[in-house]
Amino acid sequence: MDRAIIVDGLVKDFEVTEREPGLTGAFKSLISPKKKIVNALKGVSFSIQPGELVGFIGPNGAGKTTTLKTLSGLLYPTAGFVEVLEFDPWKRNPEFLKQISLVMGQKNQLWWDLPAIETFELNRAIYDIPTRSYNENLKELTELLDVEKLLNTPVRKLSLGQRMRMELVAALIHKPKVLFLDEPTIGLDIIAQQKVRDFIYDYNRKYNATVLLTSHNMGDLINLARRVIIINDGKILYDGAFEDLIMQYAKEKIIKATLSNENNISNLEKIGKIKKLSFPEVVLSVPRSAAAVAASELLQNFPVDDLTIEEIPIEEIIRKAFKSEPKK
Amino acid sequence: MRKYLQIFKISFEEEFTYRLNFILWRIRNVMQIFLTYFIWSTVYSDPAKQIFGYDRTKILTYVFGIMIVRALVLSARAMDVSNDVASGNLSNYLTKPVNYFKYWFTRDISSKVLNLIFATVEFILLFLVLKPPFLFQTNIAVILAFLVSIIFAVIIYFLILFLLSSIPFWIPEIGWGSHFLVTVVIVEALSGSLFPINILPQGLQSIILATPFPYLIYFPVEVYLGNISGWALFGGLMVAASWVGVLWVFLNVVWQKGLKVYQSFGG
Amino acid sequence: MFKKYFKIWWMMSRNSFSAVLGQKLALSMFLVGKIFRFIFFFLFLYFLLKGTGSLAGYSGNQIIFFFLTFSLVDVTTQFLFREVYKFRPMIIKGDFDLVLVKPLNALFRVLMGGADVIDLITIPPLVVLTIVYGVSLHPMMSGVLIYLILLINGFLIATAFHIAILAFAIVTTEVDHAVMIYRDLTNLGRLPVDIYKEPLKGFLTYLIPVGIMMTTPVKAMIGSASVLGIIIAFSAGILSMLLSLKFWNFALTKYTSASS
Repeated sequence: MDRAIIVDGLVKDFEVTEREPGLTGAFKSLISPKKKIVNALKGVSFSIQPGELVGFIGPNGAGKTTTLKTLSGLLYPTAGFVEVLEFDPWKRNPEFLKQISLVMGQKNQLWWDLPAIETFELNRAIYDIPTRSYNENLKELTELLDVEKLLNTPVRKLSLGQRMRMELVAALIHKPKVLFLDEPTIGLDIIAQQKVRDFIYDYNRKYNATVLLTSHNMGDLINLARRVIIINDGKILYDGAFEDLIMQYAKEKIIKATLSNENNISNLEKIGKIKKLSFPEVVLSVPRSAAAVAASELLQNFPVDDLTIEEIPIEEIIRKAFKSEPKK
Repeated sequence: MRKYLQIFKISFEEEFTYRLNFILWRIRNVMQIFLTYFIWSTVYSDPAKQIFGYDRTKILTYVFGIMIVRALVLSARAMDVSNDVASGNLSNYLTKPVNYFKYWFTRDISSKVLNLIFATVEFILLFLVLKPPFLFQTNIAVILAFLVSIIFAVIIYFLILFLLSSIPFWIPEIGWGSHFLVTVVIVEALSGSLFPINILPQGLQSIILATPFPYLIYFPVEVYLGNISGWALFGGLMVAASWVGVLWVFLNVVWQKGLKVYQSFGG
Repeated sequence: MFKKYFKIWWMMSRNSFSAVLGQKLALSMFLVGKIFRFIFFFLFLYFLLKGTGSLAGYSGNQIIFFFLTFSLVDVTTQFLFREVYKFRPMIIKGDFDLVLVKPLNALFRVLMGGADVIDLITIPPLVVLTIVYGVSLHPMMSGVLIYLILLINGFLIATAFHIAILAFAIVTTEVDHAVMIYRDLTNLGRLPVDIYKEPLKGFLTYLIPVGIMMTTPVKAMIGSASVLGIIIAFSAGILSMLLSLKFWNFALTKYTSASS
């Protein structure tokens, strides 16, 4: 098997019922509902090799989650070809489901009033995990996620971060080969985010697991994904290495400087495009290739106290990628 | 007064927001009436049969009377007070220049008006379909007594709901449980909305008649039928009035104590 | 396969049992409420029939036996299928997603994933009462046998209804009272459907087969059901099961999952 996931020309349409306001509208929609078709995915194709860690980027409603859900067999594809681990996900063959896992921030499988260990035990039965590997996995996962001491605490008494980590244990107790993560760090504080991120990274490395993740949180992607797929309005805009994305869309670098006085300040625009000027701070944007020259010029001709050269923020790069979408 | 008119209006509109729930609630009411109607229609299939102090006309009038009286008495919103108390939402009201009791009473009235409109339509439709014999009361004095008994019934039910909703001050988790026990189970059984109390043995009847529940449905309908008159009517109205008094005093004591518990928790 | 599912059912039931144990007071409220409701209706029938002697041609004990049979079907389905009542929130919050990705039949999970403890307490006395009243009717051995088979057939139809309600909740989130409507309809089966007039009677017998579920078993036992009626009953049982499963599979293809 050289491809863990193959998606070719995937289309997913949703039927949405529209309702007019008012009592008559309610009756009308009961008798003859007005249907509207929403095209969530308009022909998406990509393939992923075993052991890859791929990030999905896109605004709300772009189709990221729809893709993940179709890959894990929740949604029935309208058209196109989907294969995960040589299975058709929609058939939800138990042998297939035993090898994958879907984790969604803010959706839970843990029994609310009971300690998390009860859910794990239940999953052991559901996934037919032999006792020995269950015990090993549990020990390993709880250590990695630092939750060994919380196993017997009722879930409702856990903090959001602790609960999310428990959800991860529940989702991974059967050692899935393919892992779909939908917004895994949503709502978590910075420290908890880092813990979850480190864990995903380790899990991917250690078991050579294939990981697909969507996130709003650029930190997740910068730290984790070597390959990103940008999706917007149901279509793929970019699919490739993260570094290439920066090279392609970030043609400029940012120079930030702190000046000691206002001398010569009007000549700043000869160096580069002024993005912000509020003395003593100044922010310039210069072509990537000319960054070093610009910096030295700045140091020579201006009263500079402090100076840094930075990449354009990733959010801005992605915004640019969306703007460059070929016109229809 | 104007602000309560406004509350009435908003409350009325809110019921329409959840119109589907409302319509289904009405459908459920009709289905309940089916069971009651057909039981009694079967028991009194012979028009000449006289039993438990009713004949076919009177018992079927009783069943149709339930439809209207239920809409008037048992349609209420005050059970939601429970949620306000348990969730701490109550604080939002305590800081406003409205009387909390009047606020909910206004909402109850709005719910009653809406339900009465629907119940009347259902009444007419079912009347046309089932064509039951029906006793139209023409005695003005009896109708007046009936209206008085309805007013008592409305107040008694309001007080019962508020008392139940005070329980979460102390035990927040049984708000819905106590409503189920009292309003769904006990009121349904003892108010007379399935069967008139007088089919029960005398001893049991006397016990039930001493509780506030039969004054919700059974007593008003019996008054309308003219089965209760003279001293019995006067006595019944007195019992109902006493229940209003007792429950009112009791509610005030409980509510004040509850508020103290509530405020000591910081709301 | 069966062993695995039984084990999982047992674990899930145990879990929901320990989950509700935390709310003993609320639990006892509901228990008391349920018992009261049963007793009230029982007493109502008892005193009614003491006065009238018979109802729709059935004797007092027969009428009570009809009611007990209804209660048995009603309580047992509530015991087994309690989870159905929690399905709509599960769909709205999207937690159903995590049910679908498990190598466990999703229908099994949402239908039977949490038996109701309260009914575990009410079922045994109900069974005893049903047997006592059943014996008082002096049925023949064959009558008892056909009663039991038709009772199972009634459970089958009740199961089909619950499956259809689940499928319905996937297709449209608009209607959340479907299960309550079902309960109100079956409540009409507390007494033999013979008391209802046409077209309600026909509706209850064939379309919403409350009659087949709750009335036919008793009638067959006391010998007042026709062979044709019994054949219709079994066909209705099998047909409703097939249709509801088809509907469930169709509904899954329409599943949109919350917040895509």
